[in-house]
Amino acid sequence: MVVFSLFRIAVSALRAHRLRSGLTLLGVIIGVTSVMTIISALEGMAGAIEEDLARLGPSTFVVRHIIFITSDEMFWEKIKRKPIDYKAVELIENGCELCEKVCPRAYQSVTAKYRDQSLRDVFVTGATANYVDIVDFEVEQGRFHSFEDDLYRRPVVFIGDLVRETFFEGVDPIGREIKLGTNKYTVIGVAKKRGSMFGESQDDFVIIPLSAFSRQFGFPRRGLSIVVKAPTVEDLDEAMDQVRIILRAQRHVPYDKPDDFDMVTAESMLDLLNSLTKIFRLGLVGISSISVVVGGIVVMNIMMVSVTERTREIGIRKSVGAKRRHVLIQFMFEALMLTLSGGLLGIILGFLIAKSLVGMLDMQITPSALAIIAGLTISTGTGLVFGIYPALKAARMDPIKALSYE
Amino acid sequence: MIETRDLWKTYEMGAEKVHALRGVSISIDKGEYVAIMGPSGSGKSTLMNLIGCLDTPTQGEYYLNSRKVSQMNDDELAAIRNREIGFVFQTFNLLPRATALHNVELPLIYNGTTGQDRRAKAMQALEKVDLGDRVTHKPSELSGGQRQRVAMARALVNDPSLLLADEPTGNLDSKTSIEIMKLIDELHRQGNTIIIVTHERDIARHAHRILSILDGQIAEDLTVPESQRNGVH
Ligand SMILES: Nc1ncnc2c1ncn2[C@@H]1O[C@H](COP(=O)(O)OP(=O)(O)OP(=O)(O)O)[C@@H](O)[C@H]1O
Ligand SMILES: [Mg+2]
Repeated sequence: MVVFSLFRIAVSALRAHRLRSGLTLLGVIIGVTSVMTIISALEGMAGAIEEDLARLGPSTFVVRHIIFITSDEMFWEKIKRKPIDYKAVELIENGCELCEKVCPRAYQSVTAKYRDQSLRDVFVTGATANYVDIVDFEVEQGRFHSFEDDLYRRPVVFIGDLVRETFFEGVDPIGREIKLGTNKYTVIGVAKKRGSMFGESQDDFVIIPLSAFSRQFGFPRRGLSIVVKAPTVEDLDEAMDQVRIILRAQRHVPYDKPDDFDMVTAESMLDLLNSLTKIFRLGLVGISSISVVVGGIVVMNIMMVSVTERTREIGIRKSVGAKRRHVLIQFMFEALMLTLSGGLLGIILGFLIAKSLVGMLDMQITPSALAIIAGLTISTGTGLVFGIYPALKAARMDPIKALSYE
Repeated sequence: MIETRDLWKTYEMGAEKVHALRGVSISIDKGEYVAIMGPSGSGKSTLMNLIGCLDTPTQGEYYLNSRKVSQMNDDELAAIRNREIGFVFQTFNLLPRATALHNVELPLIYNGTTGQDRRAKAMQALEKVDLGDRVTHKPSELSGGQRQRVAMARALVNDPSLLLADEPTGNLDSKTSIEIMKLIDELHRQGNTIIIVTHERDIARHAHRILSILDGQIAEDLTVPESQRNGVH
């Protein structure tokens, strides 16, 4: 195939001009990185919220030191907040009469092992026994841990379907021992499969008693989040007020200062999600157009220099029979390879930046299919749109003029 | 094989018009060995570029192997250059970063010859010009004469029906020039049609026919008697 030969020619040309290729890459990397950062960060936050939302009933709300951030002023204020501790849980349990159920949770990511198999980044939730009553997931097999399990810190675990599938395909998981990080836990139940969202499995979780969680991990670095259930939807506002008063007192918030914690209901999360989606779309359009222009100008500039500098080469190729399309394809390959590799690096870099940003908010993030597709589309598009002009210029050169170019 | 009718080539330099060729009509048969001579600026290179399909005439017709070339578009000309014509330039025109082998492979790339086949053909062409032991050298690692032989191997690799050389010895010393001319003579003996542009009478006398060009017109068309020819034929 001629195309394959042209591809090889393009590769060696890029190798021969490393500095120039590197500079071009940089232009694309900057663009794609910014897009990736935005998408991943927003998606990570929206995803975390959506996950909770799906499992909370209408009379339920969640309390945590940080749940969401909508502006950068809030960002700097919120990351200084103190996490919610066990004392707060106790105060709410004792002092809030409209709180029918109070369920503290803690999170941690660990590697799970069963015999010689292991599964990385398993999401461990430590929760009290009433978690199963508040949050909506169905027990497929076995049972959820009981009040006694929690009281006696029993090392028992309720596993998500992905964990079961990975470790116990074709075997009965109940009663078997898996390792979460350093400690051993006995499997007592399996959750019904939830499927995946944005191409990510929702079944890579395990739940253990909160007491067992604290024994293994100590007080969670990310603090606790408390799920509270009011008796009815009508009691919701009242219940939230009671919790607010208790927490403000515990955390010594002066009367003229706003809360230093967040509380959301399923409904308010939905609102937030909608507004985030709006910001997200706007930001995406804005930033991707800037990045396309920045990256594109760099690509076009450098490809123009390259075409001019290689005028003689083009003349030589045409003199021995290269057609317009051969020259065009060769230079398009160069532009595309530059932008695509810049795009890939940008995707990785953007994800890492988003991860550390979202990490400061104590939230989880995974690479999102949407962000990767956007990054690849943008970089390919940049290569195509901004590479075509220099490539056409090269393809249309007159062989004689090109050969006599000094 | 080659037939031109009233070829004109006019360059527009601002308001001024430069007529590089003013009505050139020639005909060259298959297997001929022709030299084109003339003073500097007389239009030799311009004519060669037209014959070599690197350029198109402003006016007039050109038939190559009975096909009308003068009205073809860029890509059709490229295909003809690739298959029918081997061009050797005064300044070699090799890719500086590529090895001799890759330079010779170049025309084959553009007609879709791949892999082993391409390599084998290029090797064969390099051996024909006696450079079988220099295939991995880059142009900067070769002498002038060797570079020109690489260029000739490249010109020959597609078995063209026509070999054109525009002052192939112009950048070479006399000893190397003789080597190159020997090679060209040999190619003619093997049946190739050859046209060569030169300033030097000695070089021109390798050919069997000399076209003299003056101010863009053919001034003289001479057959060189066998007794006056240079080289072995
Ligand atoms: N691209 C061009 N633009 C304008 N004029 C040109 C161009 N190319 C050639 N000419 C003019 O056309 C005429 C013929 O040029 P050509 O290169 O064919 O001469 P030549 O016989 O090959 O000369 P030399 O022996 O010096 O190589 C010259 O007067 C030259 O200045
Ligand atoms: Mg000339």
